[in-house]
Amino acid sequence: MKIARYSAAMLATMLVAGNAQAVSLYVGQYKAGMVCAQCHGIRMPSADAPFPPLGGRDPEYLKTAIKQYRDKTRKSDIMNAIAGSLTDSEIADIAAYYGSVKP
Amino acid sequence: MKKTTIRLRKNLLASSIIMLLSSGVALAKSDDMHQIYQDNCASCHGSDHGGYLAPALNAATLKGRSPTALRTIVMAGSFDTLMPPFYGKLSDDEIRGVIKHLQETPKQPNPAWTIDDMKKSLKVYVKDESTLPAKPTFQIDDKFENLIGVAARGKYGRGEGSKAIFINSATHQKVGEVATGTAAHIIDFNPANPRWAYVKTDTAEIFKVDLYSMKAVRSIKTGWNGPGMGVSRDGKYIMAGSFVPHNAVILDAETLEPLKTFELEGIDPDGKHVSSDSGMIIGTPYADIFAIALENAGQVWVVDYKKEGFPVTKIEKVGRHLHDAFLTHGGKKLMIASYDDSIVAAIDLEKRELIKQLPAGCVPHVGGGSAVVVDGRTLGFGTNFGDCDKTVVSVWDLDKMEVVKQVPVSGGTESPAAHANAPYVAVDIISKDRRARTVQLIDKKTLEVAKTLDVGGHAYFPEYSADGKFLYISAGYNGDEVVVYDSNSLQKVASIPMESPAGIFSRGRVKYMTRGLSPDEMEQHK
Ligand code: HEC
Ligand code: HEC
Repeated sequence: MKIARYSAAMLATMLVAGNAQAVSLYVGQYKAGMVCAQCHGIRMPSADAPFPPLGGRDPEYLKTAIKQYRDKTRKSDIMNAIAGSLTDSEIADIAAYYGSVKP
Repeated sequence: MKKTTIRLRKNLLASSIIMLLSSGVALAKSDDMHQIYQDNCASCHGSDHGGYLAPALNAATLKGRSPTALRTIVMAGSFDTLMPPFYGKLSDDEIRGVIKHLQETPKQPNPAWTIDDMKKSLKVYVKDESTLPAKPTFQIDDKFENLIGVAARGKYGRGEGSKAIFINSATHQKVGEVATGTAAHIIDFNPANPRWAYVKTDTAEIFKVDLYSMKAVRSIKTGWNGPGMGVSRDGKYIMAGSFVPHNAVILDAETLEPLKTFELEGIDPDGKHVSSDSGMIIGTPYADIFAIALENAGQVWVVDYKKEGFPVTKIEKVGRHLHDAFLTHGGKKLMIASYDDSIVAAIDLEKRELIKQLPAGCVPHVGGGSAVVVDGRTLGFGTNFGDCDKTVVSVWDLDKMEVVKQVPVSGGTESPAAHANAPYVAVDIISKDRRARTVQLIDKKTLEVAKTLDVGGHAYFPEYSADGKFLYISAGYNGDEVVVYDSNSLQKVASIPMESPAGIFSRGRVKYMTRGLSPDEMEQHK
């Protein structure tokens, strides 16, 4: 619940501020659906899959984790490779989107 | 579903993963690899390595391909397709080993699956059916019409995620689920007794399901793969057909015991004798017959299931590469799609002859087909998939058997949905980009696209609820939900989460025969 309110608040800020750095849930949804959902699912990973769930998690946590994978302070062959090509704004969009999803 | 080979998209992300696949060798033995392939891959790629829902993987198709690039695909999956990631499920050595095995293994000869194999595969989960409840154990309308079944494939096409899920379309609540081991593919309802449904999986098992208790009571493996299945109008027989091997079988619908098998072969329209995949199989409400399409032989066989020995009448030269079909005229006529000559063939099941071949756009795939009555005319709708210059949905006047219009749509389409009480015919756009998220709605009266819905995932298999009030659509692949719209306002009203949903089958189908017709039409033709 807290997470949902948080991202709603974020959206509101975005609408007010209207600046180019604001997160886009739509872009986040598209990226997540195209790439991340392959392993993590949207709401939940597959019942049979070894991947951690992302849906409904704290966006700040997700952002930090993805950035750690990107700069390899957190090691995982596959996530290091995937996060390596993401920009800050893509990470923010994806984290906000996953944060807004009900698991 | 389709069996065409799909071109692999270049993927930036996948190529960024390649770099991490450079070290280590150590390979496991080839027998183990054979087993890994059969256990994890064969349900999609074919146990004969010849392809099914996914491309053929063998020494010829993978010749000259970089093992590293192939390993990347197996590890990370292919984004926005059914190909799942095996990272964490198979070890790096196993992935390397299976790729090596695939690049060394030729396509296997069509493996046999005889009537004895079928008999041995019969499983009984509920011995005494009188112990089953006498009415549904969940809330649903008295006529038991609002039931919708969804083939939830599961991400890996097998395992815990693979089930048939049933929903009450009045409340959009899940009322039951039945685990199917491998991906559920087709769901058929018994027209004579509402409590039974039959679920066929990617690996050609058929489950007899008791809908009142939502339990599988029996199952039988009818082949290696192939979607064909039909139920007779009296609810006593099932006919099922396979791609591998090239045969079909009639089962007793009560016990699932196989009664007779049929070798599928014949002379194709070009005069060659060929062995053939089974295409669609359908039972018609008009007579005690099954119709089965022989894909490669281009023939439709009519089987009299009430006659001794199940005699067959063969209708030849129907088209090149037949696939799916729908019924019209109270079930007396069959409209069947033929991929390679871009036609839909109309067949008279009473006279057992070809009536006419109608233009149908390139690579026609009619899905379950649809027919609607508009201003006194009965119009049939046919979808097409494939990469074509012009992507259209064909509309035919089914009385005159002529083309009324080819409606331009935004991409290839796979399955049309219609209902007598709903204003639009829904078609799923399957072209491989953002369009795959969408479904387009064709206005029945103007025959033009009125609206595009952005459903998400790989949106496919639209289906109306039995009363026509709601439109159900699978947001498949990674969308992981079935989305429900109000049929008139087209507002989203519900979402039902499940893993990789595909085909949606309303129990309403048994009363209107072809989606879009009203039960009254059926009466008129009696
Ligand atoms: C090919 C499979 C795959 C894909 C695609 C993938 N991931 Fe991952 N992800 C993993 C694996 C495996 C782990 C566990 C890694 C570990 O042990 O740290 C993981 C872990 C994570 C974590 C850490 C979760 C936690 O609980 O700490 C985050 C965040 C994450 N991924 C985000 C993403 C995002 C965002 C994308 C899309 C841009 C993505 N992943 C795409 C496989 C994948
Ligand atoms: C749920 C269905 C499914 C399962 C299970 C599956 N695949 Fe696939 N696979 C696909 C689909 C669909 C494609 C086509 C992807 C595309 O078009 O990008 C594919 C593509 C591939 C390709 C690329 C083929 C080419 O010609 O480029 C390889 C290699 C492959 N799969 C290997 C495997 C292996 C090995 C396994 C088992 C460990 C497996 N697949 C299991 C559906 C599946």
